[in-house]
Amino acid sequence: MVGGTGTGTGNLGAAGSSATSSQNGGGQNLATGATAQLDLPSGDVPIGRLHKLTAAEFANSMHDLLGDDAPLAPVEPDSLVDDFAAIGASTVAMSPAGVGLYETATGSATDYVFSDPTRAAQVLGCTPVDTNDSACITKAISSFGRRAFRRPLTNDEVTRFATLATSIGSESGSSVLVGMRHALWAILQSPSFLYRVELGTASAADNGRLKYTSYEMASRLAGVLWNSVPDDALLDAAGEDALSSADGVRTQAVRMLAAPAAHRALATFTDNLYGLQLLGEASKDPTVFPNFKATLPAEMQSELEQRVDDMIFTSKGDFLSLYDSKTTFVNTELAAYYGLPAVSGSGFQRVDIPADSPRAGLLGAGAILVAYGLPQRTSPTSRGKFVDDAILCKAIPPPPPGVPPLPDMAAPNATMRQRMTAHRANPSCSSCHALMDPIGFGMENFDSVGQYRTQDNGSPIDATGTLADGAAFDGLASLGSTLRNEPIAGPCFVSKVYANALGRIALDLDGAALSALADSFAKSGNHADELLLDVITSDSFRFVAPSAGN
Amino acid sequence: MARSSRTILPRRMLLRGMLLGGVSVAVPLPRLFGMLNENGTAFADGTPLPLRFGVWFFGNGIIPDRWIPTLTGSGDAWTLSEELAPLAEVKSHLSVLTGFAIKVPNNAPHSSMPSAALTGAQITSSVQLPSIDQVIAPIISGGVAYPTGLHVGISNVSGATSLGTAISWNGPNSPNNPNYSPADLFKQLVQYANTGGAPKPPDPELARRTKVLDAVSADAKSLRTRLGTDDQKRLDQHLDGLSQLETQIQKLEMPTATGTITDPDKAYPNRGADGSITRQRAQAFSDLLVFAMASDLTRVFSFMFSCPACHGNYTDCGLDPTTFHEDYGHRLSPKGVTYATIGFNTGVQFAMSSLADTLVRMKDTPDGAGNLLDNSLVYTTSCVSESQTHGGTDYPLLVAGKAGGKVKGDQHIRIVDENTSKVPFTLLTAMGGTVTSFGMAEAQVNSGVSELLT
Repeated sequence: MVGGTGTGTGNLGAAGSSATSSQNGGGQNLATGATAQLDLPSGDVPIGRLHKLTAAEFANSMHDLLGDDAPLAPVEPDSLVDDFAAIGASTVAMSPAGVGLYETATGSATDYVFSDPTRAAQVLGCTPVDTNDSACITKAISSFGRRAFRRPLTNDEVTRFATLATSIGSESGSSVLVGMRHALWAILQSPSFLYRVELGTASAADNGRLKYTSYEMASRLAGVLWNSVPDDALLDAAGEDALSSADGVRTQAVRMLAAPAAHRALATFTDNLYGLQLLGEASKDPTVFPNFKATLPAEMQSELEQRVDDMIFTSKGDFLSLYDSKTTFVNTELAAYYGLPAVSGSGFQRVDIPADSPRAGLLGAGAILVAYGLPQRTSPTSRGKFVDDAILCKAIPPPPPGVPPLPDMAAPNATMRQRMTAHRANPSCSSCHALMDPIGFGMENFDSVGQYRTQDNGSPIDATGTLADGAAFDGLASLGSTLRNEPIAGPCFVSKVYANALGRIALDLDGAALSALADSFAKSGNHADELLLDVITSDSFRFVAPSAGN
Repeated sequence: MARSSRTILPRRMLLRGMLLGGVSVAVPLPRLFGMLNENGTAFADGTPLPLRFGVWFFGNGIIPDRWIPTLTGSGDAWTLSEELAPLAEVKSHLSVLTGFAIKVPNNAPHSSMPSAALTGAQITSSVQLPSIDQVIAPIISGGVAYPTGLHVGISNVSGATSLGTAISWNGPNSPNNPNYSPADLFKQLVQYANTGGAPKPPDPELARRTKVLDAVSADAKSLRTRLGTDDQKRLDQHLDGLSQLETQIQKLEMPTATGTITDPDKAYPNRGADGSITRQRAQAFSDLLVFAMASDLTRVFSFMFSCPACHGNYTDCGLDPTTFHEDYGHRLSPKGVTYATIGFNTGVQFAMSSLADTLVRMKDTPDGAGNLLDNSLVYTTSCVSESQTHGGTDYPLLVAGKAGGKVKGDQHIRIVDENTSKVPFTLLTAMGGTVTSFGMAEAQVNSGVSELLT
């Protein structure tokens, strides 16, 4: 993806270049065979890894444990690997400064909670009378610690934190609540909270394969479906070992997907999937785009998050129809910006874009057009690379060294397409740019701030083109429909959901699992809610590594 | 990580004893930073003055024709080039190295090359080795509050590179992400400032924080035994972070920093938002880093003016509010190539002016018998040489400072096609490193640039 924030490591050395389809798009979404086009990299058999909480997981967990009003100071930014924070979280190590940020963030949040005895009592579940009230102290630490650590605390851990509470609570000028605040502060700084510890244990019933325990499954389910810690019901289910079977996992997953926290987690997935963190740094030149208000990027992000959310949770439609759908969500400002009929009220509303509007689908979303554009002009290369990456799972190698100077961009009356086509005449550039630029040219009727236009630099725009496999399109809406029908579209999306859930890049040894998931996704009519359940209940998610014979 | 803390542990134990007793008593002060021998060349007890090391990084490269000084040699024999002109005030301490080339394959422009320049190795899914500042940190850091350094950044806008927005790494997948907020760094550092008068009883909260961190460390250690090798390393680094926090708390119990600390909100109220590229933001960070080094809170820093291939804008030096990387670096400004070239040159000079802001402050700060820059090395590089073509020859490499007399300064050394890794290896040696090679594979070297050294 172009320009990930944080310390993203892109596709380097991992995915390599993907195969291109030799089939003509526009046919059926036949999953089998298309999965092979994902060109999955080889890699070592996965092992259970510490998963550092992503910034979203940390924030959500803190709010779920301490209350939604607890203040949250910033922590280390996510490391995006293959676009996903969840993948970076499995390898990144915390810097010393990062450890300090967690101390500060957990310190100010616990300080806030304990500045009000009523709030403190809600979090603790009981109010210790004094430092001798070991019943309440132990109960509160055990209960809070179980959710924070996503498993029951060991006796040693309970003793450690209870001793801390009584030691500090017994100091001159202190109190038991001050002691409890510091015990919670310690729990929230413990690596057992800041990392999801999911290592697996050998399962005799499964030929000794490393299988996640029920508590580890609770941790995984809460992490992926809620981006947070488990609730008591999930931990109770784990306590009954109900999460050792696929059916038990499905029961809890269905319940969890119906909870509000599932929408929060899905929004983060959408942000990673489409690189929407780039919206935060997408500055536009106010002299060129005076109507582009600073509030728009956040609204556009929300729009796209709601479209994906609606598709999966409410409409429960064909997920790939997102690529050419005319349904979106706008508030008053966004409706006016897109030239849609005004909506009433202050919030977002589901609306249908008029059939004759050139705006359609994912690529017509302001969020995409703005994020993958430059301050003064469009970048067909960035837009094309986005489509290659997010929709077609086609890795583009980085540009070679010694690129010859580009032609002068000041040529009068030349469109962006005409200038870039001249650039692509150079053979050292054309092989890769041919995979990106033509797709971007199809989006040229929308400028860098997402507004429709028919001319570029005084000349008419030509938005026709073909994908690498020959599938033709004419303009943004047509491009969206063409992409929807690409055989790779379904398997590509499946692989993204899979990698995000597992917190690792999909490897060649995942091929069989991915093919099965892609098949059932296609058979379901591309229903992403069912795909999510299929992934979560699959062996790939319940075991540390796919089985050797798989 | 093994780090000396000989002046720290006894004092901590003393203070703890004092707190348990519940009364405030006079405690021995640690060795004052100003207690030097008669010549000002070492501490009175013979301990050498500390050395400092910094990496100062700017994205998007240079125009070699305008960067490389015309003449080589030292002193009056050479003069600064057009793009280096802003460094005139520190020419006496500047070593310009030209002709050097990146030796790893340029698998990814703006990633392979800065990875080689900073770590001596190609980038794969992450850097493969720690960056030079983190190789040097354990050698020079002693028991300071921030032994792995302070890491700051001006632009928080990313570039399309796999290096992301960090230029310092403890190792693979272990970035030291920059702090973009001068106000936040001030808030941290001002706590160490000794405002004079009799020692005050420490805030009881400091001792509580230590108790909390002790419990966290114990908890972390019980987890460690269950982990594989890679995760043990990750956890060890977390434990090292906890240990650094404990050291910082010990130092906060008795603030000793006597240097002048500048509040960025007072000195630079109009410096721009965190993450924006302005010279005042660079000046605010320079003030704070110099305070931290002069007060011996840290001996290492990294300063990321802009990240590799940074997509931010340089409006603060009069350029258009566009993407510096595209419109100027790649000359894609709709206003034409000539306009873009002039603007790019302005941008490089802007970065060098900000570097000068850091270096001049160091030179103006007394340290022993000389100044801070005398006892430091600041290594400056970028993510590419010629910005327009993603070139890797004639790589931009600057060294400022004299490492306590080990580095000559005031010279232009030109060695065509020499491995860039030789420069960080030389700096490592000057800082007291004893390893016999630096880097790996194509970028590995086992000798330095002897001309740099006295």
